Amino acid sequence: MRTKIISAIFRKEIKEVLRDKRMLYLIILLPFFLYPVLFTLIGKVGQSQQEKLSTQSIEVLVSPELKGTAVEEALAQSSELKLNFTDFEEATIDTMSNGIGIKLDVPFDQTMQNNGTASIQILADQSKDLLQFRSRQIRTVLQGVNQNLLKARIDGAGLNPEFAKPLNITQVDLASDQEQAGKALASFLPMIILLFIFVGCIYIAIDITAGEKERKTLQTIFTAPIKVSEIIAGKFAAVFTVGIVSAFMNILSLMVAIMIQVKFMGGEVGSFSISIDPMGWFWLCLIIFLITVFLAALTLAVVLLANSYKEAQSYVSPLMMLIIIPAVMSQMPGMELNTSTALIPMLNISLAIGAILKGGFSTAMIAMVAGMALLYAVIALFFASQTFGNENVVTGEKIDFKSLFSFRKS
Amino acid sequence: MEVKIEARSLTKNFGTFRAVDALSFDVKAGEVFGLLGPNGAGKTTTLRMLSGLLTPSGGEAFIAGHSMEKQQQQARSSLGFLTGDMDLYRRLNPVELLTYFGQLYEVPKATLSARVDKLVDAFGITDFKDRFCEKLSTGQKQRVSIARTLVHDPAVVILDEPTTGLDIMASEFILQFIKKMAQEEGKTVIFSTHHLDEVERLCDRIAIIHQGKLEHYGTISEVKQRTQKENLADAFFQLVN
Ligand SMILES: Nc1ncnc2c1ncn2[C@@H]1O[C@H](COP(=O)(O)OP(=O)(O)OP(=O)(O)O)[C@@H](O)[C@H]1O
Ligand SMILES: [Mg+2]
Repeated sequence: MRTKIISAIFRKEIKEVLRDKRMLYLIILLPFFLYPVLFTLIGKVGQSQQEKLSTQSIEVLVSPELKGTAVEEALAQSSELKLNFTDFEEATIDTMSNGIGIKLDVPFDQTMQNNGTASIQILADQSKDLLQFRSRQIRTVLQGVNQNLLKARIDGAGLNPEFAKPLNITQVDLASDQEQAGKALASFLPMIILLFIFVGCIYIAIDITAGEKERKTLQTIFTAPIKVSEIIAGKFAAVFTVGIVSAFMNILSLMVAIMIQVKFMGGEVGSFSISIDPMGWFWLCLIIFLITVFLAALTLAVVLLANSYKEAQSYVSPLMMLIIIPAVMSQMPGMELNTSTALIPMLNISLAIGAILKGGFSTAMIAMVAGMALLYAVIALFFASQTFGNENVVTGEKIDFKSLFSFRKS
Repeated sequence: MEVKIEARSLTKNFGTFRAVDALSFDVKAGEVFGLLGPNGAGKTTTLRMLSGLLTPSGGEAFIAGHSMEKQQQQARSSLGFLTGDMDLYRRLNPVELLTYFGQLYEVPKATLSARVDKLVDAFGITDFKDRFCEKLSTGQKQRVSIARTLVHDPAVVILDEPTTGLDIMASEFILQFIKKMAQEEGKTVIFSTHHLDEVERLCDRIAIIHQGKLEHYGTISEVKQRTQKENLADAFFQLVN
């Protein structure tokens, strides 16, 4: 193989790609604007939804016994709750489009004087966002009232506040909020990265193989005194480059989006903490490198079998599933990298990238996945060279699949 | 005269169909050789085998004394090849395209740009040399395509229907160029065509193939004599009917 020839082919492919506006849009502009726009939109929509809910008032039907009690006093503090003291049935609440009921089962004042328990029911259609929001609010208010009444009773009996609290249980999550945000992101990021590497590879690979056949340009270089392996190497380098650039653009864009998000939502930078140590970076880069080699070689080999864009796209769709399904699976709860998942193609890659982003990964496990990725890459490259060497593939004739796997002489 | 192109019982089967059947002929240095035959006769298939794009099912092809099978690199280096089902890269301009092929044929860097300039000049490409190839007209594309086959200054040029789709002026330009190439630079040219007048003007010797078989191989006057016809068209009809 002559590097001069390979580099000439590579430079020509990249030159044509850079002149293709659709390609630039897909690889550079789309990822660059996708995340910031998406994040800001999601943030803004969520925010305005919350604002809207907090200003919308609703009617609250309350059992008349509660009039003039501590409960009324507490509820009246919230102006969005329009209190209506009246006897009502459950069915009445059902027919109201925007109503909540607060129902008491026994006379209030009397029960309190006897140190008894009054049951209060909050009736609301929880499937409606506004009613769910308001019923939570009411519940919080009532819990406050409950605390005050309890305190009064304990004081009245001359007891310590601890009397009513034999155990004080709190749950401590060892992960900080930032870490949790980082984790959520870490399980989501691998799919995005893999998908965009793949999409980038597919786009250019189709263009420079099946596309060249369709445009009748592929044959011309096959009459030149160059080896099939040199053509593959040059084209592969171009596909690989686009894949890597694609991955890089996506990670960069995601980082920018996170920063913007943090700024607009009022948090300080670092609310998403993904901390990766130097070894983590090393493994991350290595795995992304290897998997890009694999995806580039795989797409190249497959789309070469096609004679047109349309045909190539039909070959690529099942491949897409091959990437998406394991990547989605890797996000399922409880999925983590272990000796069995490390052996499942693509799932292992997603999990490994996720594990590195989450931190605290096992080096042995990650190294094993890297080894697997290397293996996939080698197999895919071999397959690519087999397809390219096939005379029928090049001249666009029907392909005999058996001949693809028979070793060639030269 | 030295033999520059040799077909030695070239045969090509597509499945059970024999498209080319044991063709043997040779073309000598400085000769313009015409390959004739009705549609589907096997012309393109023969030329593709000569250029190494298709592997023959039987027989062997030699370019400038090198076997296309055993000395592929040398054989290909000596050859410029163009068929109708080859197009130009959309987003390269003619200069970039010619330079690219020059690099693939390992034309030394020092001489490549001079060579490209010369071809741009000789083929009247100057006016559109900065335009992307996808924007060029059929005739302009054909000029660039033929220039492309010559960028490495090959001893042998194979052109499959080089004038198809061109107007009279463009065809004339290309025919004149072929003639000049052979006479002044001693290049060996084999070309296929459906225009018998082109053959009569350019070629001494021709091959007429029909259903993959060689019907005639020799000079134009020989074929007229053999068929007892005044002109080539009548002779052609008689042989392929
Ligand atoms: N890849 C292929 N598979 C099957 N048959 C083929 C293939 N290529 C060519 N043929 C057949 O071989 C025969 C010769 O085709 P070829 O293209 O060489 O003809 P031609 O002489 O160039 O015709 P034309 O003047 O129309 O260009 C035709 O019958 C064609 O259908
Ligand atoms: Mg033909």
